[in-house]
Amino acid sequence: MDEAKKTFEFKKPVSTSKLDPNFKSEVLSHSGAQGLNACFSCGTCSAGCPIHEVFPDYSPKKLAKMVRLGMKKEVLSSPYIWYCATCRNCVERCPQNVRFFSILNVLKNMAAKEGYAPAAWVEQAKQVIKTGIVFASEDSWVKKREELSLPSLKEHEEKIRKIIEQTGIDKIKPRVDSE
Amino acid sequence: MNKYALFLGCTTPVKVPQYELASRWVCGYFGIELIDIEEFTCCGINQVNLSIEAGLLMAAMNLALAEAKELDILTLCAACTGALAEAIERLKDKVTRDSVNETLRKVDLEYKGNVRVRHISRVLYEDIGIEKIKKEVKRDLSGFRVAPHYGCHYLKPKSAFEGFEEPDNPKTLHQLIVAAGANPIGYETFNLCCGGKVSPVSSDLALLLIERKLDDLADKEIDAMVLQCQTCYLMYSDQQKEINETYGKEYNLPVLLYPQLLGLALGANPVKELGLDLHRISPDKILVKVG
Repeated sequence: MDEAKKTFEFKKPVSTSKLDPNFKSEVLSHSGAQGLNACFSCGTCSAGCPIHEVFPDYSPKKLAKMVRLGMKKEVLSSPYIWYCATCRNCVERCPQNVRFFSILNVLKNMAAKEGYAPAAWVEQAKQVIKTGIVFASEDSWVKKREELSLPSLKEHEEKIRKIIEQTGIDKIKPRVDSE
Repeated sequence: MNKYALFLGCTTPVKVPQYELASRWVCGYFGIELIDIEEFTCCGINQVNLSIEAGLLMAAMNLALAEAKELDILTLCAACTGALAEAIERLKDKVTRDSVNETLRKVDLEYKGNVRVRHISRVLYEDIGIEKIKKEVKRDLSGFRVAPHYGCHYLKPKSAFEGFEEPDNPKTLHQLIVAAGANPIGYETFNLCCGGKVSPVSSDLALLLIERKLDDLADKEIDAMVLQCQTCYLMYSDQQKEINETYGKEYNLPVLLYPQLLGLALGANPVKELGLDLHRISPDKILVKVG
């Protein structure tokens, strides 16, 4: 978190020459992000965000504004866009039906393509392609399930691999500064 | 028809088998038949982070597997519930569905749109009902004070759950706890997220969320937290040691999954049928209380 704070300073003035005027339309071209146009920065999303409450620098309202301003590099390279806890309060409470959570997913997908995905999610996607679930099988689990007379688990990764490889998820590289 | 495809998800069967054990027992008690579909995989919820499309395809694949067997899905994990229900919502759009099906055909599957997904608590609430559950109670849990925790994805997005619950003012878990004869308390942070989905990226943030709730509950004189998702469970139970070390606290609060509480009320064997011996925070005091 402290490391993230250093690399993502909100308080600097915004330099208009560094803005990308196409960023907003690029984001809006994804179906999940179309609510962005309706956002009038009321801040209900941030007010109800559990992460914002414990870590005020993470602010959905601020991120939405940065997208509208065209701060492409700052947004996509920001570690903060990965800090959402996925609770959906922002979606439920928004008076404009912006669905910030959906916009954030679009931003995360774009960031992932540019090499900013956290290692944790890249590893998990790889694991899913290997075993069909987010974990590798461990002997202790197999034994415990036998003891409890629960059905044994089988790995069924083949179908998953076939359907999701075409999305390019298996090609995504983790961000360099992540642990 | 009281027959469902049991969607275990990734985590419950390997890390919290006591939740599965108790759920199977409770369903068996009420004549809810659970069918295991071996080919079920991860619901796709975390893959959405990297590719919305991949996440949707994974959810659709699981839905199609249940649909091919003409079964609705019963879930244990709140997050799987949300991911699958949201996929159903998105797949109502014909263009999206056609495009997903084009991919699913590669693995000889098709999703037509005839599957319902409901969490075990919702099935108990809607299919069995509070009154019927009350009538079946055999063990007195009236001395129990417990803190309910719903799990975000059990409630939200509301649009994916046919208006089943008011996310800011939910009631089903409270009522289910009352039906089991125990006493749910009200508390300020009851709707606070467990942080499970941010934990892989920032465990610090997740710990801050967990600590807020445990701190709120510290003076409430409760016997346990009762929740209905294994991810929430792992956060509040298994992370207590981490919280104690990080924040210099001495939390030792047992955490139960709802089917375990209900199983206790229905007279199940606490160890063999509900796996109460498998918790990291020992619920010994609870076992002494129920005798």
